Amino acid sequence: MFSPPDDPGRRFAVIAESLYLANLLIAPGVAFLGLLCLWRRADVRTLPLARQHLRQTLAASLWAGVLLVGLSAIILLVGGFASMWSWFAVILYFIVFHSTLVLCGMVGLSRALAGQPYRFPLVGPGDPT
Amino acid sequence: MQYSSQAVAKPYFVAAIGLFVGQIIFGLIMGLQYVIGDFLFPAIPFNVARMVHTNLLIVWLLFGFMGAAYYLVPEESETELWSPKLAIILFWVFLVAGALTVVGYLAVPYATLAKMTGNDLLETMGREFLEQPLPTKIGIVVVALAFLFNITMTVLKGRKTAITSVLLLGLWGLAIFFLFAFYNPVNIVLDKMFWWYVVHLWVEGVWELILGAMLAFVLIKITGVDREVIEKWLYVIITLTLVTGLLGTGHHYFWIGTPEYWQWVGSVFSALEPIPFFALTVFAFNMVNRRRREHPNKAATLWALGTGVMSFLGAGVWGFLHTLAPVNYYTHGSQITAAHGHMAFYGAYVMVNLTMISYAMPLLRGRQANSEKSQVLEMWSFWLMTVSMVFITLFLTAAGILQIWLQRLASDPQPFMVVQDQVSLFYWMREWAGVIFLIGLLAYLASFFVGGRPAEARAS
Repeated sequence: MFSPPDDPGRRFAVIAESLYLANLLIAPGVAFLGLLCLWRRADVRTLPLARQHLRQTLAASLWAGVLLVGLSAIILLVGGFASMWSWFAVILYFIVFHSTLVLCGMVGLSRALAGQPYRFPLVGPGDPT
Repeated sequence: MQYSSQAVAKPYFVAAIGLFVGQIIFGLIMGLQYVIGDFLFPAIPFNVARMVHTNLLIVWLLFGFMGAAYYLVPEESETELWSPKLAIILFWVFLVAGALTVVGYLAVPYATLAKMTGNDLLETMGREFLEQPLPTKIGIVVVALAFLFNITMTVLKGRKTAITSVLLLGLWGLAIFFLFAFYNPVNIVLDKMFWWYVVHLWVEGVWELILGAMLAFVLIKITGVDREVIEKWLYVIITLTLVTGLLGTGHHYFWIGTPEYWQWVGSVFSALEPIPFFALTVFAFNMVNRRRREHPNKAATLWALGTGVMSFLGAGVWGFLHTLAPVNYYTHGSQITAAHGHMAFYGAYVMVNLTMISYAMPLLRGRQANSEKSQVLEMWSFWLMTVSMVFITLFLTAAGILQIWLQRLASDPQPFMVVQDQVSLFYWMREWAGVIFLIGLLAYLASFFVGGRPAEARAS
């Protein structure tokens, strides 16, 4: 699927990917709310490219929350806040997973800019059709 | 190859790769010295191995930049090089000076070398990365000025493009900031402050302009995307680089005796430094996604995309990791810095040079792209080197976290060497990852000697 440059869905696809990245990088939570607001707009969901990117970024954001906040918290709770090894594990874990999720978002953004669909590896939902 | 004078780039690329091999061998020697302290002592002490490792890196990257300029400027300017003969003379001058300097490091004690080379006339030696004797430093300036003269004259007599303008800005900046290597004030605060004018403003300033220009040139060639689109991205990237990178120098001024406001300036601006690398990655992927042709040189495309990703990780993510003053208070000068340095140099400057060499060398050898077989081997080398560099970085990061905890955070902090013993497992793993890196580099070398029918272009 390649959308033409004047496809209005492309703009929303770019916004969705940007909000996903903003949620990871500069405005966690706030950007995710923006993504939810975008998803609630029926006019946006009717645009195939926008809908595809929105589904992917929403799912990936939820996974990011579980992987980054949830698992990091579990490591610290199980290992203890005063333990060197829990900080050792959580810092390495967080850097690797956070960087991977950001890189996926960057590829998604470049695909959206080019008017192409993108499926996040492993965490992105499959095509419903 | 459109202009015969572009051929002068070839010896520069060959020398760059040769010195790259030397750099990695000395890196492995040094990595082993981390865990077997007296390995090769007293023949090659750690401080000498380190000096050779870092100096070879700088010299081969400079060879790569010069080769890239000699290749791309005639094509961009649509004219022959102003003086190919001057380029060849400079090549030999630079190579001989570089080789003599390394021999000097290895054959003579550093203090004796300083005495022999007139350091008492103008004291410039003894500073990290700028250890070169005075005659070598003067040689670098002479070579750089003559090189810039040659390149600038070529640009002036031909077409002016955004790529050549950005490249020239970067190369002139490189030469000008190197002049601070000659200024060595007695006041140690000023000494450090001006030392960073060379080191930081090179790698987090003007070198990024050179990187951007080289990457933009290769992307225009391999994707066929309109020059205007790529040039707009290039302008955005270099603006972001200069806005963040210049005042980002402040992240080196936290603890050297400069006023406290540098902690704010350095933290804020250097926290923004990942942005140009972010833009660079999106730029590279976006151009490849919008490509108008299937260039037969798949290996060059892979190197170009890899440059974006790895420079973002190494310079952006690992830089940000320890750049805020309250964090840097604990991480300063630890293995976290080494982790960042390794991945940032590899991701940004090693990879952009290999991108350029991968694109230009087949053309310099009379074909658009190497055979499929050769490219498969080259892509293997890409993955071996890149994945092993990721692991080198992760192992050094792991060592750094433990080092900081045991040496600086614990309620009963331990001495440096005691801690070094405790993290030696990670140094061993780093060394093995380094061996894989060397295997990748040897595969890269071997790919030049794999024959077969050159790959051909396909319509997109």
